[in-house]
Amino acid sequence: MDELIYTLKQQIIEALNLEDMKPEDIDENASLFGEGLGLDSIDALELIVMMEKNYGIKLQDPAKGKEIFKSVAVMADFIAKNRTK
Amino acid sequence: MTNPILITGCGVVSAIGNNKAETLDALLDNRSGVGELVYLKTEHKEFPVGEVKMSDEEMRKLMNIRDNAITTRTALMGMIALDEALKDAKITPEMIPNIGFISGTTVGGMDMSEQFYLDYVNNEKHKEYIAVHDCGSCSEMTAEHFGKFAFVTTLSTACSSAANAIILGANMIRCGEADIVVVGGSECITKFHLNGFNSLMILDTKPCRPFDATRAGLNLGEGAAYLVLETEESAKKRGVRAQAILSGYGNACDAFHQTASSPDGEGAYRAMQEALKLADIQPDKIDYINAHGTGTPNNDLSESQAVKRLFGENVPPMSSTKPFTGHTTSASGSIEAVFCILALQNGFLPVNLNWSQPMDDGIVPVHQQVKKELKHILCNAFGFGGNDSSMLISKPRFDELNDRPMAPEPVEEPLYVLSAKQISVQQPLCEDWMTQPVDYQTPFNRSIDPSFKDYISPIEARRMGKILKRAIATSKEAIKTSGLETVDAIITGTGYGCIENTEFFLEALSKDGEQMLSPTYFMQSTHNTISSLVAIQTKNHGYNVTYAHKGISFDSALQDAVLQMRLGKINSALVGGHDELTPTFYNILKKGGMMGQYDEMCGEAAVSVVLGTKSDNCLCKLVNFKMLHKPSMDKLKAIAADFKADYILTGISGNHKGDEAYLKETKELFGDAKLLKYKHIFGESFTSSGIGVYVAAQCLKAGKIPTHLFVNPQEATEKKPSNILIFNHSDGNNYSLTLLEA
Repeated sequence: MDELIYTLKQQIIEALNLEDMKPEDIDENASLFGEGLGLDSIDALELIVMMEKNYGIKLQDPAKGKEIFKSVAVMADFIAKNRTK
Repeated sequence: MTNPILITGCGVVSAIGNNKAETLDALLDNRSGVGELVYLKTEHKEFPVGEVKMSDEEMRKLMNIRDNAITTRTALMGMIALDEALKDAKITPEMIPNIGFISGTTVGGMDMSEQFYLDYVNNEKHKEYIAVHDCGSCSEMTAEHFGKFAFVTTLSTACSSAANAIILGANMIRCGEADIVVVGGSECITKFHLNGFNSLMILDTKPCRPFDATRAGLNLGEGAAYLVLETEESAKKRGVRAQAILSGYGNACDAFHQTASSPDGEGAYRAMQEALKLADIQPDKIDYINAHGTGTPNNDLSESQAVKRLFGENVPPMSSTKPFTGHTTSASGSIEAVFCILALQNGFLPVNLNWSQPMDDGIVPVHQQVKKELKHILCNAFGFGGNDSSMLISKPRFDELNDRPMAPEPVEEPLYVLSAKQISVQQPLCEDWMTQPVDYQTPFNRSIDPSFKDYISPIEARRMGKILKRAIATSKEAIKTSGLETVDAIITGTGYGCIENTEFFLEALSKDGEQMLSPTYFMQSTHNTISSLVAIQTKNHGYNVTYAHKGISFDSALQDAVLQMRLGKINSALVGGHDELTPTFYNILKKGGMMGQYDEMCGEAAVSVVLGTKSDNCLCKLVNFKMLHKPSMDKLKAIAADFKADYILTGISGNHKGDEAYLKETKELFGDAKLLKYKHIFGESFTSSGIGVYVAAQCLKAGKIPTHLFVNPQEATEKKPSNILIFNHSDGNNYSLTLLEA
């Protein structure tokens, strides 16, 4: 799981163009949206594309992203359970 | 003194019909044109769409265009609707040179670019389509099928483009710039925006259900519609009757988010309120609202809130006609305006098809056809970036309208250039080019960028292309140095829009296919992203539009600001001209003959100018302005007589083959005036005429023209210049004249 969390952080940084950040800067338990990294709805859509590309997970309902993208840890857990690649 | 704006003709093509008669039939029969994809070649068969039921070949045949002619679907649909509108208003070919044409589109020639993109990059095939990629050439292609219109320009504010074209046309008529203007928009479905909307996850796989509790997104549609706007005097003289009156209109910016509407619908509320105010009509007089109603959860909730704020408990009957046609994006404003005219003429309320369950906090739309007499209809069109517009269309009843002056008479007072800032291939945000211009030997150069951290926070900047950062930095600097706290309007011109993100999206679409495309690239690719982001960044809810018409994009924006100041609508405006170029697109455009011919120097330009009606601390006065499309030499000479100046700033680039002809024409028009140049240091770009205005304004402020700007350096003098005319003859078709005075 730690390896997945680390890779995921790298992929998030790349997908969301968080140029000045390193994986170490992201607290896997902190919330990604709102207070935490300050991401918005377009970032959520980018994360959906990223999950499909890298893990073969197709999310049909963008509203579902709200629960999955709570934090990197929650996201990693979801990916581990649902990945097809 | 009243000046109602008459609608003396209209034409329409959409999924429910190829003309007005078929359209009316379908509306009265509740017959939707949304169905399975037939004409667009895409993998996304899962989405229902509202296609016009003709292939490009069939459209060409209908318009008598030869088979192998270079056309785009947007232009073809535009021609069909324009043809009907001109005939409907009894406009004959010899009238065309005195009539203006204003069109709205966002995709332009994207239907061809998305097919041939890899050829554009890699080989010589299909390069003849490169010149019709941009929005402006699409409008010109549509217009030129019918003759030489007096002026042509293009609005590109995403889904409110056509509505804003209608508003500009009305303002031009009110200012006496024309007696007749044909206005509207056209847009075909492309893979580009079908995939773009898909990446934003706002497309429904079922027929769309605006204002329904189960609504899950929109269906894309396509089509075109044009209205003939005319003064009462002209219509009387010609013996034509008004089909309807454009009695009011409003434009405001939501300034909330690039792709989402605010929860309280601020922009929509302001746009509707302004339309009522201009017509001096109380909300209870509105008989019907044709909603923007796309069917996305966000739009319909936001629009419901805006309507409830304006109408309180008494919301008039309201429906979205998008279940009939799909969302016809840039054309929706004029297509739905024609639906409103048909509803007025035939006395019925169009049904909001597919509706069954009320949504929380939403309006309950018209779900059964009602026959009744209608007098006043409000028609909404909202666009990405919160470019919201609303039109008030009324039954012609002159007795009632006569005592209602639509607005004060236009005033002819000088306007002032309060500030001007640039980021270009010269040192940014300063006037170092006056004394120490940066010298270039290469034909294509990118801008010298300042540090953007002072203007945009890193978290906001990370998704922005260069053009957006430059626009925000120059805008913020221009406002800061204008002496104003804020501006009343933000008006932007861009020839090609956000090229970098367009390229990223086209490349991914061409190479990786139609899956998993980035929503960021798509949402940053629309032209009006620039103007709406500036509004979001400066929290400005005022008038906000974007022009995309080749070398007169900035000029069109400037004209809009001048018109609205003359009408007393605004007292200040931020006018921007922004264009970027990437190495790939430079090579594509060079291949297409669009720029970089003869290895002339090309650059990028971001220029922001604040205009105002007060002279405090200004750079110079703006005393006269005019835009022309394909004028005869006689007409040009007659106009030039009103623009006498000591110095003429020309657009010669210094090493272009066309320079000699440009100078000859300038001399013929302006005699002995001393000729100046600026593109030898700033390079050619689509909005370089904005740089021209910046250069002239700074020279007048400094009281000196640098020697290197003189075409003939021997004419250089220490004498303080008292005026400079910026004479822009940009692309063979279009001219603009801007006269500045110290």
